[in-house]
Amino acid sequence: MKTVKTIFALLCILFFTSSLSQSLVPNTQLKDLKKELVYTDDVFNEDKFYVVSFWATWCIPCINELDAIVDLYPKWKDENIEVVAISTDDSRTKKRVRPMINGKDWDFKILLDENHDLKRALNIVGIPHTIITKGSEIILRRVGYSPGEEAELYEFIKNYN
Amino acid sequence: MNKLFIIISILFFYVGFSQNNSFYGAFESNGVYYSENESKDFEKKFKSNNYFNLNYLIGNKWKFDLQIESYLPGRLQNFSDNLEDTYLSTLSINYKTKKFDFSVGSIYEQFGSGLILRTWEDRQLGINNSIWGVRTSYESEKIDVKLLAGYQKKGRDISTGKILGLDAEISLSEDFQFGLSYVGRFEDITYDFGDFTNLFSSRLDYYSDSFYMNYEYISKSKDGIVQFGNISEKFVKPGNAHSLNFGVYKSGFGFNMTFRRLENMGYFSDRFEASGDYLETSINYLPALTKQHDYLLSNINVYEAQPYVSFQDPKLMKAGEIGFQLDLYYNFEKGSSLGGKYGTKISFNSSLWNNLGGKFSYSSQDYTTSFFDFGEKYFSEQSLEITKKVSKDYNYILLFINRYYNKRLVEERTGEVNSKILVVDNTLKLNNKRSIKFDVQHLFNSDDDKNWFGYGLEYNLNYNFSFYYSNIKNYQNIEKGKPSYYSTGISYSKNTTKIIASYGKQRGGLICYGGVCRYVPEFKGISISLNTTF
Repeated sequence: MKTVKTIFALLCILFFTSSLSQSLVPNTQLKDLKKELVYTDDVFNEDKFYVVSFWATWCIPCINELDAIVDLYPKWKDENIEVVAISTDDSRTKKRVRPMINGKDWDFKILLDENHDLKRALNIVGIPHTIITKGSEIILRRVGYSPGEEAELYEFIKNYN
Repeated sequence: MNKLFIIISILFFYVGFSQNNSFYGAFESNGVYYSENESKDFEKKFKSNNYFNLNYLIGNKWKFDLQIESYLPGRLQNFSDNLEDTYLSTLSINYKTKKFDFSVGSIYEQFGSGLILRTWEDRQLGINNSIWGVRTSYESEKIDVKLLAGYQKKGRDISTGKILGLDAEISLSEDFQFGLSYVGRFEDITYDFGDFTNLFSSRLDYYSDSFYMNYEYISKSKDGIVQFGNISEKFVKPGNAHSLNFGVYKSGFGFNMTFRRLENMGYFSDRFEASGDYLETSINYLPALTKQHDYLLSNINVYEAQPYVSFQDPKLMKAGEIGFQLDLYYNFEKGSSLGGKYGTKISFNSSLWNNLGGKFSYSSQDYTTSFFDFGEKYFSEQSLEITKKVSKDYNYILLFINRYYNKRLVEERTGEVNSKILVVDNTLKLNNKRSIKFDVQHLFNSDDDKNWFGYGLEYNLNYNFSFYYSNIKNYQNIEKGKPSYYSTGISYSKNTTKIIASYGKQRGGLICYGGVCRYVPEFKGISISLNTTF
C-alpha cells in the first residue's frame, strides 16, 4: 500500500508537468489480412482524414455502423476520407473476419488487432469505438453507435479547420 | 515485487523529466447496489470494480503503462477472491525501435493463434493473466523472434509456476508463413513426472487472393491430471491439439471452415488452477469455436470449449473435444431480385462438437483415444441470419438458431436441451439523430426450462442519450414460477465518456462472454457504469 501511495504521489507531480491527453495514435503493431505486420505510423501517414472504427464480427452495433458507412463510402472517398476498420476479434472469431468482409462487400482497409495491443494502447474499453484522425493526430473519439451517427462524423470532418 | 516497482518508478521519472512527454489514461468503474440475491450468505450492499490507467509516452520509443485496480467496498459478485482492496495491478516499461522491442513489467503477448500462449485482459470476466517478467522481440524481413519469461498475474498476487516462451515466425515466401513456438512451465512439485511441462507448436499459413489455409499442431508433455483438486502419480497424460482452418472468398461471398481437436490441453502456471472457476493463471487460450451471439435468448445454453480431462463418474468421462465449425456469407446485390433496392446480406453458421472417442476406464483411471473418433455429442448448432435494409430509414435482422446442448456432459449436471430460437431485430431511423430499435425473441424448448419469450426496446434520443428496456420471461417454467428478468436503463455518451445507469433483475446460471462462461447467481439491483479516457 505504501508503494502505491508513493507512486501515486509521484504520478501527480508528473501529471501536472506534462501535456495531457492522447493527441497522436501510438505507434503499435497490427496485422493485415495476410498476417503481415503493419505499424500504425505507416497507416496514418497521409495528410487526410481517417475514420477508424474498432469492431468485431460478433458486435452487432459495430456491424450496423460499418454497414451504414459502406453506403456513404464512395462519396467519402471522393473527399479523401479513408475508413480503417480495425477488427478486435481474437482467435475465437477472427476466422470469420475475412469471409464476413467479403460477404458484406466492405471495401475499407481492414487491420487486425488480435491481442488488443492498439485497443489497450488507446485505453478502449468497449466497442464500437470510433476515432477520427487527421494524419496520426486524434481529433475526435466516440464511444458506441446510434443509427445515423455516421452523418455526424461526416459533418464533423466537413466543419473541421 | 516491491523493489522492482520502485526501480521502475525511478526510471519512469528519470526518463520522464528529461524529454517532451505526453500523458493519457482512462478510468472505468462498474458498481452495483444489490437489493436482492439468491445466494444464502448475501447482504444488501454496494460493490464496485474500478480500473484506472495511466500511460506515458516519450517520443515514439519509450512507453510506460500502469493500471490501478480498486475493489471497494468489495468486488462485484462472481469475481475471484484474489481481487480485493486497491492495488497496483500492472506496470510496464517498453522500449521500441523499428526492429527491436523490449519490455519489463506486465506483459501481454500472444503466440500464433493463442492456442499455446495468450496473456490478455477481459474485465467483464475478471481475467488478467499478464506475465510479470521480461519480453523482447526482434523483427527482420524474413523472421520475427520473441522471447519472454516470468510469473503470471493472479489477482493481486503472482503464480507459483514460472513461464518461459520462445516464438518465431518465418516468411517462406510472400504467400507462405511458418511458425514455431515453445512454452515451458516450471513448477516445483514433488511428483515423479517432473517440474517442467513443455509445449511445442508448429504452424503453417498460406494466403492467396481468394483462398487461405492454416494448420497448427501442438504437443504437450506428460502432466498430472488434476481431479477434484488433487493429482495422482498414476494418472499422468500428455496432450495435443490440431487446428485446421481454410476458406475461400470473393467479392460478395465468403466461406470458412475450421476443424479442431483438443486432447488434455489445459495449461496453467499454477497447475491446480485447472479445477478453479476463474481461469486465472491459464497460459493458453482455448475458446469455444461457435458463433458468438448478441441477443439475450440466444445466450442461453451456450457452449464452452472442453479441452480438459475430467473423470466425474463411470458415465461421465471426458478427455477433450473434436469438431468443426463452418461459416458462409453472401451478399445479394442491390437491384437483384433477392437483394431489392438496398441489397440483402445473409450469413450461415454450423458447428458440431463432440467428446473424444476411445476407451475410458474409471476404475483404473486411464484412457486411450483414437484420432478421428467422435465420442458423445456436446453441442451442435445451425444458424441463419438475414440482414435487410428495406428503405433508407428501416432495416431488420432476422436470426434463426437450431441448437442441441448436452448439459450433462458439458456442465457435469443433468439434462439435454434441444432448442430453436427466433429473433427479429428492427431499427427505424426517425430522423438523422433519433432512432428506435425493437427486437422480439422466442426460444422454443421442449426440454430443460421450456419456452422463453423476450423483447427489447431502445430509443436513441440523439447521439448522446439513449433509453432501453428489455424483458425475458421463461413463461412455461411452472416449476420455478415462470420467472421473468428485466432491465431498464439510460445511457449517456459524450466523446469518450459513457455512463450507463440501469435497474433490473438478472438471470442466473451460466453466463458466457467471448466464449468463456461462468456461473452467476440471479440478482436484482441498480447498476452504474462509467468509462472515460483522457
